[in-house]
Amino acid sequence: MPDSIIRATGVHKTYDTGTVKVNALRGVDLTVERGEMVAIMGPSGCGKTTMLNCLSGLDEIESGQVVIDGVVLHDLPDDERSDYRARRMGFVFQLYNLLPVLSAVENVELPLLVSGTSSTDARRMSMELLDMVGLSNRAQHLPGELSGGQRQRVTIARALVNQPSIVWADEPTGDLDSETAGEIMDLMCRLNVENSQSFVLVTHSIDVGNRAHRIVRMRDGAIVDDGNGQASGT
Amino acid sequence: MEELFGVSMDTIMIALLVVFLPVLAGIVFMAWRNPVMLKLGLRNIPRRKSQTVLIVVGIMISTLIMAAAFGTGDSISYSIRSNAVDSLGTIDEIIVSARATESDTIGSASYFPSQRYEQLKADLSGLDSIDGLAPSIGELVPTVNSRTSLSEGQMRIAGVDPNTLAGFGRFKLLNGQEVRLETLGPNDALINEEAAKELGAVPGDELVAFVAGSGVPFRVQGIVDSGGLAGRESTLLVRLDRAQEMFGREGLINSMAVSNLGGVFGGAEHSDEVTKALRVLFTDRAIAAELKTLLNRDEVLEQLTALMPTLEPKMADDLGMLSRGLAQSQMTDEFIGVLADEDAQEQVLRAASQTELSEVERQVGTLFAGLAEFRVLDIKKQVLDEADRVGSGVTSIFIVMGLFSIMVGVLLIFLIFVMLAAARRSEMGMARAVGAKRRHLVQMFIFEGTAYSVMSGAVGVALGLGASAVIVFVANRIFQGGGSGAPDSFTMAAHFEIRSAVVAYCLGMVITLGTVGVSAYRVSRLNIVAAVRGLPPPIHRSQTRFRDLLLAPLRSGVRPFLLAASGLRALASRDWVRGQALFLQAIWATVTAPINFFTGVIQVLWVPMSHGWLTVVAGGLFTWLGMASDQAAPLRIGVTLVIIGAGLTIKTAYHRTQLRPDVGDRIAYTFIGVVSLVFWVIPFSSMQTIFGEMEGGIEMFFISGVAMVTAAVWTVMYNADLLLKVLTFVTGPFGKLRPVLVTAVAYPMAAKFRTGLTLAMFALVIFTLIVMSILTEAFSAAVGDSDKVAGGWDIQATVNFNTPIDDMRQAIDDKPGLDNRDMTAIGGYTAIPVETRQVGAEEQRWQFYAVRAADDQFLLETGASLKLIANGYGDTPEDVWEALRQDSSLVVVDSLVVPSRDGFANDEIPFELEGVFYEDTEMEAIDIEVREPRTGQVIPLKVIGVLDRLSDAFGELGVGMIASRRGLDEAIPFKIPTTTYRFKAAEGTDITALSKDLESAFRENGMESDVLSDLVDDIAAANRAFNYLFTSFMGLGLLVGVAALGVVSLRAVVERRQQIGVLRAIGYRRRMVQLSFLTESSFIVLMGTALGVGLGTVISYNIVKEIQSDVETVRFAIPWLQIGVIVAIAYFFSLATTFLPARQASRIYPAEALRYE
Repeated sequence: MPDSIIRATGVHKTYDTGTVKVNALRGVDLTVERGEMVAIMGPSGCGKTTMLNCLSGLDEIESGQVVIDGVVLHDLPDDERSDYRARRMGFVFQLYNLLPVLSAVENVELPLLVSGTSSTDARRMSMELLDMVGLSNRAQHLPGELSGGQRQRVTIARALVNQPSIVWADEPTGDLDSETAGEIMDLMCRLNVENSQSFVLVTHSIDVGNRAHRIVRMRDGAIVDDGNGQASGT
Repeated sequence: MEELFGVSMDTIMIALLVVFLPVLAGIVFMAWRNPVMLKLGLRNIPRRKSQTVLIVVGIMISTLIMAAAFGTGDSISYSIRSNAVDSLGTIDEIIVSARATESDTIGSASYFPSQRYEQLKADLSGLDSIDGLAPSIGELVPTVNSRTSLSEGQMRIAGVDPNTLAGFGRFKLLNGQEVRLETLGPNDALINEEAAKELGAVPGDELVAFVAGSGVPFRVQGIVDSGGLAGRESTLLVRLDRAQEMFGREGLINSMAVSNLGGVFGGAEHSDEVTKALRVLFTDRAIAAELKTLLNRDEVLEQLTALMPTLEPKMADDLGMLSRGLAQSQMTDEFIGVLADEDAQEQVLRAASQTELSEVERQVGTLFAGLAEFRVLDIKKQVLDEADRVGSGVTSIFIVMGLFSIMVGVLLIFLIFVMLAAARRSEMGMARAVGAKRRHLVQMFIFEGTAYSVMSGAVGVALGLGASAVIVFVANRIFQGGGSGAPDSFTMAAHFEIRSAVVAYCLGMVITLGTVGVSAYRVSRLNIVAAVRGLPPPIHRSQTRFRDLLLAPLRSGVRPFLLAASGLRALASRDWVRGQALFLQAIWATVTAPINFFTGVIQVLWVPMSHGWLTVVAGGLFTWLGMASDQAAPLRIGVTLVIIGAGLTIKTAYHRTQLRPDVGDRIAYTFIGVVSLVFWVIPFSSMQTIFGEMEGGIEMFFISGVAMVTAAVWTVMYNADLLLKVLTFVTGPFGKLRPVLVTAVAYPMAAKFRTGLTLAMFALVIFTLIVMSILTEAFSAAVGDSDKVAGGWDIQATVNFNTPIDDMRQAIDDKPGLDNRDMTAIGGYTAIPVETRQVGAEEQRWQFYAVRAADDQFLLETGASLKLIANGYGDTPEDVWEALRQDSSLVVVDSLVVPSRDGFANDEIPFELEGVFYEDTEMEAIDIEVREPRTGQVIPLKVIGVLDRLSDAFGELGVGMIASRRGLDEAIPFKIPTTTYRFKAAEGTDITALSKDLESAFRENGMESDVLSDLVDDIAAANRAFNYLFTSFMGLGLLVGVAALGVVSLRAVVERRQQIGVLRAIGYRRRMVQLSFLTESSFIVLMGTALGVGLGTVISYNIVKEIQSDVETVRFAIPWLQIGVIVAIAYFFSLATTFLPARQASRIYPAEALRYE
């Protein structure tokens, strides 16, 4: 029997700007299996990033339910949800979102420190991860001193350092040239295989989508094809 | 208040308006020409209300401090003026005899026949500026109210002729009803409000005045308003004939009051004219002619001419007229008027003393003494001038003390605009990309800055005047507590002049706009691509050729003419639009020419300065200048520049290697910071072997503070990563605290400029507060040492001149309730006003001073300590006092007449010794001469000791050189009654009770007795209270620090919105985000506080050690409680200001934050 790690049902999300209401998610259902790499694709404004934010607990939902590894995420108080993210999730963003004032290794070790790992262990594990992404020689550099691809590798190292069950990646190659994007995808696919971690990727790139196990297609806040031939949302 | 730092307030106001109004007009013109930039500049103000509030608060501080300083100066000036006017009423001048008589006594004016009044009245009949002349008698006597038993030791009995009150106004009862002096019987009197208060008297009470040992009863017929002939201090008014009879002076008076035309306020305007006319009348023309002959010599005339440029214009004019008068054959009234003017006489004597003609000088001095029959005291004018002088002095003190806060305020304005620029970088890059020019960006910022300045200037002036009202309130409380040296009846009223408000506003605006202009210029030089893409600015290498750089200053001068010429050409070719535009540009280029010239020069010098070698050269020049002029400020600045230059040279050399440049920066800047810090921290006295004796005033405190704080901040900022490592290590075991600390320290350390400025602001403010606190503590403890201050005496009592006690011991025996055994010693003295000069000194003018003619018991028992003892007169103070007892030609002088190397100012006593400094360790005996002013008798004396500064609390308890009265009794033809007594109480005696018993027993002698330790405590308390007041004023700078932190935090929340989203995404809880922001502020506040406390303590230690060589009892002690309170207040308000932004940051939803661009 398949082992689902993410199970979202009937998720609704509306943005209210005061003058305009936008139905960003219209009751989407999605299930992701453990170790699976899923790519979410669709035109701009279809709700891909919103879905990623809602499923990962970065944003609130109006209705529906998101269960991660048996835990109903939105029932958790904010502090516990933060702790849960620190221990179980990793994030990769299109613009890297590294803290510019910390060195590469300090950026990577931050999630470990947040989850209470000792500084010695945190530093050792971070260096291992940087080594794994091929950046151990750049560990003391500030993000401003790294190239785009190197920054994204650091972001990936940071996302993986606490050995999360799920890695959420929002346009991980959106700001990179095709060659570097290919390298980054190689890296993520390798880690996915080696660590059996689930990856949920939001992307515009068909190349990236093709590297995933499954492509979920969205339009106007609904899933038109979840890759298993199912659609959800009104 | 008419002047500030010696410059007329009118001139200051006009100068500021001349600068400010055209600048404002220029800005308005720019706004009219560029409405789009105006809109862009102003639109941000309403958008971020809390930020706007913080900016306005931060910017207003300079204006606030200056308005508070001006407000306080105006209030003091106004209060002294109104007290003077209330006190003198319609009296403008007082005429007293300049000739002594055999029946004169110390303490009252010489008498003269009342017929002189009649003659004078006839002589003055043609002078329209005078509307009143009143003969009178004034004597101080002890008075007791029989009903209440309350007494007044120094009641002024004023005898006034009811027929001569024209021009002075009638006496009025408190209910406003007029009262006629003619109706008073022989034993009737009126008293003024002050006397009624002191005696608890009401109409109908019987008062007994004690004259020559017998009581004279008076019935109070009414209580009149104080002021004018009714006096300000306790006064009992009787008819003139009754006063003459009472004092046995029939047909005599001892003063005449003059009222000028113009009433209470306008009278002083005629003072110069009236005084001159009176002096001409009173001058002995034969003596004037002798003087004319004596002074009409080339040497004297040359010296007079040489003096003129150094004098105030009016005095220079007078001396010019005197010089011309000397050359003429006839003596004009104008000539005599100047010759009889005591200020002019001083200058003439000064000129004569510069010549080789010592005999002429001596004769001139003697002739001046006998020149006039009467002295004319233009008392109201003098008091009003003094009011302006004090007001201006107080304003200067407050401004100097506010310099730190003003400086911190300027830093904040700069910081605010640098941050606003950082926030709008991308927007400005876009504007530049679509065609906006650099000047448009400058204009945009200037519009925004002007809007903030206009608001904050107004708020600052209003709050500053409010602060001055608070200062006045606190000062009044201190005056009421006693010990401040202010008269009991003196109260201050809050007052400010519109002119002061205008000056404070304009000064604040000029400072703000200047800073805004500089920051706007800096901001405008952005790299468009880097700004649009949000990349760090590239390292700028100037592409400008050196030749162009050199020509830039020249070009700024020529450009307006070139533009005007082009404009003319355009007009000649009938291109009106272009011509007009060129002329406008020419005007603008003229207005900005000084700025452009200055900027050009800076640009030329910048490169070699930043490479280091030119900075070393400049530092060397300054150092040489300081050494040549013996001035500490240029010398220390010079050495610091040499250190900075050396550091920059290291940096330049390092950058030429292949090594990492950041390491070079760290080495260079750490070198500059540490070496400068060491240089400034080492007490300067220990460097005297290298640089010799240097002079420095209060400015050194300001310069030292800024230099030390800058050096320390520099060092910290370039080595903060080490600090971060220590923090990381220390917080290792504290789980979730570590990531919070990591970000809290990393962010401020990454923004070195911003953090450094904020850190410097906090450190500077805390530094000043700590120095003030420690020095207050040290001085209060020293002044509060009552044994040292009072010379071992317990009680000080004064009696009235007119009712002295011949033999105090005998008198005590005669009084039931008093026991001589309660007092182990009783000493007494009389302070006699005299004129003094030093034999063989450069200054040969007679200067006012006093002699305390002390009895043997005083000299035998006094424990007053001495700072200097003349060689050959023993080793201990006891030896000196014994020498004084044995030889009545020997004296000990106050510390106030001995100059100080540290610039310790003494304005109270005009006489000053030459050839000795207070800091010296030994002295030779100094010959001086003392002249009794009325008889002209000269007594030679020898100075053999100098009192310690603490003795008599810097002169608060008594002033005058101390000598044995035996010699003076013989030399002065008047009787010298003892008027001041000091008592030592026997072991176990209740001193307070003894003091009260003495006062009560000798009420009829007008005795007023005080426990010396209480007086000393009052003085110490008043000193401390004033210092707290000053400390609080300086604490206004904390407002800036707190506002700065608020602005930094608010900006940080906006700038780091996305990063806050990331932190939340990777597991930071809300509280961790909040804590991170609060920790960041705490880091800056605590680091700034630690630097301020540390450096403030070190410099205070140095200052106290320097002072200890002069005042031994000054002790270095750290007032932990006060420092704790200062630190707690600073920390609390800083956290309170950053709490809201921190909370705002923690409330940001992660997804929302990540979406933010």
